[in-house]
Amino acid sequence: MLGRRGTLKFLVGPPSLWLALFFLVPLVLIAAYSLRAGSGAIGPSEPWAPSLEHFREVLGTPAFVRLLGVSVLMALVIATGATLLAYPVAYFLAFRAGRRAPLFLTLLLVPFAVSYLLRVMAWKLMLGPEGGINSLLSTLGLTAEPIGLLLYSRPAVIITLIYIWIPFAALPIYAAMQRIDRSQLEAAADLGAGPWSRFWRVTVPLSLPGALLTFFMVFIPTVGEYVTPALVGGTDGIMYGNIIGGFFTRSANWPMGSAMAMIMLALTLTLVVVGVRVVNFRRVTA
Amino acid sequence: MRAVGVGRTRVPLGPFFVGMLVLLYLPIAVLFVFSFNAGTTLSFPLRGLTFDWYAAVLGDAALLNAARNSLVVGVAAATIATVIGCLVAVAVLRFRFRGRRLLLALAGLPLVVPFVVMGVAFFLLFVAIDLPRSLLTVAAGHSVIATPYATLILIARLGGLDPALEDASMDLGATYPATLHRVVLPLMGPTLVSAWLTCFIVSFDEIALAIFLVGGDPTFPVFLYGQLRFAQRLPVLVAMAVLLMLATVALAVVALRLRARSE
Amino acid sequence: MRTPHPRRVPSLLIAIGLALTACATDQAGPSQSAAPEPDELLVLEWGGYEAEDFWTDFRTANPDTEVTFEFGDTDANILALMQGGSQADIVHFYTGWQQFYVDEGLVREIDTSRLSNWDKVPPDYQALGQIDGKQYFVPWDWGFTSILYNTDEVDEVTSWDALFDEAYAGHVSMWNDGPGAVAVSAYINGWDETNLTDEQLAQIEADWIAQKPLNAFYWSGEYTDLCPAVQDGTVWVAYAWQGCYATALAAGDPVAYANPEEGRNSWVGLYGISADTDSYELALEFLDLKLAEASCGNAVSLFYYGCANGDVMAAIDDPILIEAFGIDDPSILESTNFTPLVTEEQREAWTGMWERVQAN
Repeated sequence: MLGRRGTLKFLVGPPSLWLALFFLVPLVLIAAYSLRAGSGAIGPSEPWAPSLEHFREVLGTPAFVRLLGVSVLMALVIATGATLLAYPVAYFLAFRAGRRAPLFLTLLLVPFAVSYLLRVMAWKLMLGPEGGINSLLSTLGLTAEPIGLLLYSRPAVIITLIYIWIPFAALPIYAAMQRIDRSQLEAAADLGAGPWSRFWRVTVPLSLPGALLTFFMVFIPTVGEYVTPALVGGTDGIMYGNIIGGFFTRSANWPMGSAMAMIMLALTLTLVVVGVRVVNFRRVTA
Repeated sequence: MRAVGVGRTRVPLGPFFVGMLVLLYLPIAVLFVFSFNAGTTLSFPLRGLTFDWYAAVLGDAALLNAARNSLVVGVAAATIATVIGCLVAVAVLRFRFRGRRLLLALAGLPLVVPFVVMGVAFFLLFVAIDLPRSLLTVAAGHSVIATPYATLILIARLGGLDPALEDASMDLGATYPATLHRVVLPLMGPTLVSAWLTCFIVSFDEIALAIFLVGGDPTFPVFLYGQLRFAQRLPVLVAMAVLLMLATVALAVVALRLRARSE
Repeated sequence: MRTPHPRRVPSLLIAIGLALTACATDQAGPSQSAAPEPDELLVLEWGGYEAEDFWTDFRTANPDTEVTFEFGDTDANILALMQGGSQADIVHFYTGWQQFYVDEGLVREIDTSRLSNWDKVPPDYQALGQIDGKQYFVPWDWGFTSILYNTDEVDEVTSWDALFDEAYAGHVSMWNDGPGAVAVSAYINGWDETNLTDEQLAQIEADWIAQKPLNAFYWSGEYTDLCPAVQDGTVWVAYAWQGCYATALAAGDPVAYANPEEGRNSWVGLYGISADTDSYELALEFLDLKLAEASCGNAVSLFYYGCANGDVMAAIDDPILIEAFGIDDPSILESTNFTPLVTEEQREAWTGMWERVQAN
């Protein structure tokens, strides 16, 4: 009969095995590519000699380093924006939607089952110079010329990414809000706290771990984002991930792409570790 | 559970939520409209109403096959990722052991790696172990990239469940596995469903990884990407995309009903 | 089995990783096929080309053969996949990259005497598939590259430097490709693209960095990115193949396809047979039947690309296609620059340069 301790093996074993085989090993292969001598298209069968030349090249190209910095900043903005805007959504689901919450949640997620490519095409239709939004604005006499900002620019990337992250970002916050004991809010009310007071002193602190999880959940993958910048960023909104993708697909230079990916990985992880320390890990998993 | 919150305030949460939904569904509405358009490009003016594209979907075996593949892969990947996320959440939140942080990091790390890098990495892995690319390899790849989402969502939920409930159950004589099964899982039910749905959606529309890992049998995004080169095929693809969305809604509604019934 | 000590895990994984990399080294070497060929083919193709329209003759002749596809979306990617160990029997890529496949031993010689449609391919195109006198590749699709422009917004374009014209700021679109960019610069400056000095390359990089803000965006997918933007008026001047030209003409849009004084560029799609294939005979038949009238003709009618089957091209009577291919004007082909072979150093330098342009 399994006690508590015995169960642990079954909880830890399968995930570890699966992730070790299907995540760590591929990652090691990429790391191996980043550290090998020679560049261009290299098959795995060619002799492997260690070299830091790719790291040197990446870090020695100011444009790449700058772009990494810009991408990190963009990711911070996007994560902040998404978390802030997702908060009211989560709040609505947790405290206002009542029994309908699962339904509303589903409604929120379902658009993502439609091909992103097609949705962006539809948005471009609406945002383009002859699209619906610009037509509306010019008919109303608000603009003389089509607004270029909404498409093929860095702001377009930021807005689009915030927009597509909000539903997913709402989930951890919602999950955290669900576990807020209603009796605590009632007690606060009994003690005379008004609605805003209850919000700031009970709801926010208790849902903060969820919000922080959300922030990191959005921030981390956004640093390496490349699909949205390619679709709506134009030449202005290109991010670090596009260059990584470029070295892999446009240039057949897997070692360089791998080196850039490893550098980004290292930087992102460092930022997360620092961030978690600052925030105190315990609050998140308490 | 009555809704207790900020009470009668002026914060227009409802309208905000509705506004969000409108923004999310606007492009879908546009696609929906164009799926009935007789013309073949996504441009106004509309050239007449027709059901032809939906009829064409039913006759297009390759298209239906790709859609079916995406559904199958999505279900498999979501299930695996949710199971892993669940196991990791319980292990990390309820136990102290060496490597606890490592396991958590491992479950979250796939988030950091761009999909195109994962694609190449998986390609190398499967070539090395001589595993031909197929829907299985896509499902494996997707399960890995979806795991962080499931893990994060489940941790956010499980963190709030009072361990005292489990202790009480064990005090009453249940083994820990039975406790997990009878006490913890039901309480996490709704969150498990959201986590699963999220993972499903991550897999369903994923292309960067799929393009590397798909064998002869394409998933819908891969198929779509190839077909978009044919200008005249666009409306049929749009019709299919709309149908797939409706199918996902149906799937989600079924999941919700099942959960409601079990309460 | 006790779970391994966490601290030993990283070294374990590195060991596994290196072991697997070592396994991959055993992949080299042709397979011994004394057994009959398997009735299946794996083709490394570009998205869209897997459609049966493009190999319909083969399907008719071999209804039971299993034909499956792997996908790449750039020449670089496809080369990398082949080098990385793809099991594809047949590979499809474009001119400029032939030497790499031969140098790396990725392809085997093609016995053209077994191709019934080979004599329909013009000698110039046949020659493109030869390296050191040996036929390694079969040409199939081809097309021009030139400037596609909106005649309502842009005066007649006579030179490639229209892509650098500030007057069209925000309405230009260049293809997202380094070698393509280098070729354009070489044409404009009258340099030999196969023989560029370091200074010339540095100049090219600076020019394209300066050109970057003129673009609305760099396009990657012809029909997904470029054509819609040309048709809705976002893009006025574009580096483009004739596919979007034909599409826009058919829709009645005000577009023209330039005949720059430096000459257009032309590219040709080539098919090779993998050196490791078990299905050589089947692959030969596949390529032969791709050249047949129906399969090759579909490239023309569905993608508006040219086809290597001379009979098919001679039979074109759609006025839009005649216009798009400039069939009536032989001087176009005469002044056209065909994409030359590129060396590994050049490719690496040009693609690296382009990534820096992207990042700036």
